[in-house]
Amino acid sequence: MTEFLAAAIRIATPLMFAALGGILSERAGVFAVGLEGMMLAGAFAAVVGTWWSGDAGAGVLLATVAGAAIGLMVATVAVRFRADNMVTGLTANILALGLTSYLLRVLAGGGQPVAIHLTPLAAWPIPGLADLPVLGPLLFVQPPLTYLVVLGCLMLALFLRHTQAGLTLRASGENPEAVFAAGGNPLRVRMLAVIACGAIAGLGGAVLSLQQVGTFTDGMTGGRGYLALASLIVGRWDPWAAAAACLVFGMAEAFELRLQSFGVPVSSYIVHMAPYLLALAVLAGLGRSSKLPAAIGQPLQSD
Amino acid sequence: MAPLLKMRGMVRTFGALRANDGIDLDVQPGQILGLLGENGSGKSTLMKVLFGMLPPDAGTIIFRGRELSRHHPREAMAAGIAMIHQHFMLIEAMTVVENVMLGWQQAGRVIRTAAIAAQVREASRRFGLHLDPAALVATLPLGRRQRVEILKAILRDAELLILDEPTSNLAPTEIADLLAILRRLRAEGKGIIFITHKLPEVLEICDEVVVLRDGRVSGRAPVAGASRARLAEMMVGRDLARAHKPVPRTPGGVRLSVSDLTGPGFGSLSLDVRGGEILGVAGVDGNGQIELTDTLAGMRRAQAGRIVLDGRDITHAPVAARVQAGLAYIPADRASTALVRGMSVAENLMLRDSGSSPYARGPFLTPVPAATKAQKLMTEYDIRAAGPSAVVMRLSGGNQQKIVVARELDRAPAVLVAHQAAWGLDPGATRFVLDQVIALRDAGAAVVYVSSELEEVLEISDRIAVMAGGQFAGEMPTAEADLKQIGLWMAGRPE
Amino acid sequence: MMAPVSSLPITAFKGRAFRLQLREGLAGRILLAVLLSILCAAALVALSGHNPVEAFGAMAVGAVGSPHQIGAALNRTTPYLLAGSGVALCFRAGIINIGAEGQIAVGGIGATAAALAFPLDAPFAVAASLLSAAAAGAVWAGFATAIHLGRRVHEVLTTLLLNFVALLLVQQVLAGPLGQFGAGFLQSPELPRAAWLWRMPSFGAHSGFLIAVVAAASLSFVLWRTRFGFALRVAGSSRPAAAYAGFSLPRLTWSVMLLAGALAGLAGGIEVLGVHRRLIEGFSLGFGFKAVTVALLGALEPLAIVPASLFVGLLEAGSLSMQRQVGVPSALVVVIEGLTMLFVLAATVRRA
Repeated sequence: MTEFLAAAIRIATPLMFAALGGILSERAGVFAVGLEGMMLAGAFAAVVGTWWSGDAGAGVLLATVAGAAIGLMVATVAVRFRADNMVTGLTANILALGLTSYLLRVLAGGGQPVAIHLTPLAAWPIPGLADLPVLGPLLFVQPPLTYLVVLGCLMLALFLRHTQAGLTLRASGENPEAVFAAGGNPLRVRMLAVIACGAIAGLGGAVLSLQQVGTFTDGMTGGRGYLALASLIVGRWDPWAAAAACLVFGMAEAFELRLQSFGVPVSSYIVHMAPYLLALAVLAGLGRSSKLPAAIGQPLQSD
Repeated sequence: MAPLLKMRGMVRTFGALRANDGIDLDVQPGQILGLLGENGSGKSTLMKVLFGMLPPDAGTIIFRGRELSRHHPREAMAAGIAMIHQHFMLIEAMTVVENVMLGWQQAGRVIRTAAIAAQVREASRRFGLHLDPAALVATLPLGRRQRVEILKAILRDAELLILDEPTSNLAPTEIADLLAILRRLRAEGKGIIFITHKLPEVLEICDEVVVLRDGRVSGRAPVAGASRARLAEMMVGRDLARAHKPVPRTPGGVRLSVSDLTGPGFGSLSLDVRGGEILGVAGVDGNGQIELTDTLAGMRRAQAGRIVLDGRDITHAPVAARVQAGLAYIPADRASTALVRGMSVAENLMLRDSGSSPYARGPFLTPVPAATKAQKLMTEYDIRAAGPSAVVMRLSGGNQQKIVVARELDRAPAVLVAHQAAWGLDPGATRFVLDQVIALRDAGAAVVYVSSELEEVLEISDRIAVMAGGQFAGEMPTAEADLKQIGLWMAGRPE
Repeated sequence: MMAPVSSLPITAFKGRAFRLQLREGLAGRILLAVLLSILCAAALVALSGHNPVEAFGAMAVGAVGSPHQIGAALNRTTPYLLAGSGVALCFRAGIINIGAEGQIAVGGIGATAAALAFPLDAPFAVAASLLSAAAAGAVWAGFATAIHLGRRVHEVLTTLLLNFVALLLVQQVLAGPLGQFGAGFLQSPELPRAAWLWRMPSFGAHSGFLIAVVAAASLSFVLWRTRFGFALRVAGSSRPAAAYAGFSLPRLTWSVMLLAGALAGLAGGIEVLGVHRRLIEGFSLGFGFKAVTVALLGALEPLAIVPASLFVGLLEAGSLSMQRQVGVPSALVVVIEGLTMLFVLAATVRRA
């Protein structure tokens, strides 16, 4: 049982980072379709950065920077130049895929991908809490980035609800004109939100490559960015609910793996479809009462 | 006592149009000043200049003893002026208190929701606003939403509030509540500028009224002792002796019959227009005109009532069917409804007739006959452009409207509905459009000519109706037009 | 600030039309974008210590160096051309359809199912399979449209999410009814010869390319010479104007989405019948999203999408050679595609 939950947490963690970043972007009014590319860039930078510098911390930092760079690209084209959000995001994903694969090979100098093998990050047991029965080993003996994502949820929730900046961000996604009338700058808010989204999603990539696997392979995010998008829709753009959705998807996958090992013929593909179908159902069921930010995807009027 | 606000010699022009032509305005603390006038009288421009949204060409503004010049809304707000727009700047998905805190430094970096909520409750109690800080704006009726805007002004210590047509979206009870709130604000020493075109409100709430017409102050009077008739005259004030000479015509049978037509924004209208007759519909913009014309044309769905054209019931017919039945429509929104500005002259000329010859044969377009037809129309209607494939965006407003007129009238329609057909056109183009409409009438069509330009309506129509509050306030043959009465009708409930 | 827009309760859709600023110099801007991205790519090549000219030269040779290679390039071009044309039509109508990825995948399922289930003689086998592929793609696009129009969900979201469901559906189907037992990986049994697309001798290009070119030319004709195309263009420019003109926006949406879905499905069928001769997992990966790139590169004009898709097809066909001869990773091509798209987006967007 605990193994099952542990697997679920493991699967869910990178998703959660991406979902948190995506919430920032979408609530500010920009569709977060580029999450996949941001995660991939982060995954790449984390591994390569650690390999170069020998320091995992530097790798994690580089992951944030790489993700933010993709975010900057998306922000410039989609917000500043007012191109369509979705198409820009898709482009960023394609670009990130190409760039990471290319650079991976260029580093080795021979056209072959560098074979980096790092030890995945070790777990940091929290003294005291780690000794609790059942919950202890499950929740309090986790690698550092997993603790960070929980902290991230909390910080995002607080930021959105209790700060002036968070208020302005939410307003930019609902009615940027009102932000402007109140003396704010919705363009700057949106750009910063997308860049921050990139940085956080990059951390999600770092979880995948640095914390879990220890290496980078082409396109290793494998659609997790889109899955994170689905989970933030299912979680209706709320940090805790989105995190819960990620956990549920993680459990579904862990469950399906378990069943397979028992020889139960559950189709893993149907299980994998579920998040997207759920997201569609949420969107369709919400209709008018959707909590989709009202001004999302709408270009800002120039004055 | 020194005035709260002193504006002297305000001038603002837009090209050849003098929107503000030397206006003086004073507001005292603890006074409600009504700013009365029709569309195009210069009220909005004056307020935009005051609030810093537009720079004036000349004039001085002194507010609380200090001069305001070259300022933006942020400075105006900091100085203590608050503007409550006709279209609210609120976030529907957020609560009242969140909307208040947005962009307000006093709320803090870490927003002090509870403290601000207490302030909201306090101010709400003091001014009778009845606002619950935790209420979601989306759940509030329009009247309450407006109060959130007023609340914002109060909390930011505004001394002068400008309300732009504040009652246009309110129900009668909400209007009464608003006026009560304004009285309390006045009692606290605030100054209020109340922009409106509705006379009854002016008489009810304002202390003094300034009437604008064509960019100038046409009258200034304390409300106590002013009569409605006098105010209406100041507002509409044409030379009463001016004669109208419509060419006498014997109209034919009824071609357009509308009975009890109701829709969102306008309600229960009935009218009959005969062939060879122009029914002019006057009234200040925003009183249900576009709702009416769009419903007649088929772009909005009628909730109740009937529309009959030449004996055919077209109440629920789609747009294309109405065109076939002989209904032509010149919409007010030239830029994005009547025309597709990115397309060519020829394509715009065939916009509503793309299924019939000479523009198409079956499902295929026939570009050569279409171009020939376009060329012919361009000559006939004097559309000045490089050729049929010239892009419409490049043309002048007058030429653009000529395309619309050419398209709609060339079909020899049975009925024409025209809304603001001469809006924004120079005198020559205006003359052209009016002549075309009159020619159509002479050919036996029935015309409904809707415009907020009273002069235009008076010139062209055989009968004139006035629209106010979504209904016809009154109707009379133009030859007997009584301008005082028309002014009263336009400005609110008739005497 | 903003003029109030008349609301149209019958035909209103929130105006999120995707608008390309179609002004003069558009072709020039696009070419500039391509040039810029090639320059950036050259910089990346130099970064890796290779000679850019050498690298691009090898790519060119790899793409057109021999008849067989040209044939491969044309094969590569076909799905981009087909799907791209359909997407371009949608964008012209102001409908942002990014579901080509899934529609291609489902098209592949349709073709395979038809070929396996109904063994007919050529040429009926090919015709039936391709028809089935197109129908499958259209149905998939229909799902997205139904949710979009019926429940007022943005079509971008519905088409995007359904992509992933489609990809998984392919896997599911290969693990089940259409799969080949005993194969090491997910694939269908090889399709009967009658269903194979004809291949040009020595070039190896399958007939799909010709189908794609004919389709693109037809779409261009539809766009500019039919009433339907006119209605699409009006709807893409201004929704109120389309309503005023008497066009039914829901009907237009259905028509163009089903058409685009059919084209993408056809592309999937052609991939299966022409290239792989069986349904294999992941056969459609990347085509759909890149079709959007190609559509924009071709400025949403199907005839211009022919050279645009050729550009991408040649790039991809030459990339392996470049990697083999010069040692520059073929992933560079993906970078070029991504950069081009980014620059095109920045350069050609509507400015208010």
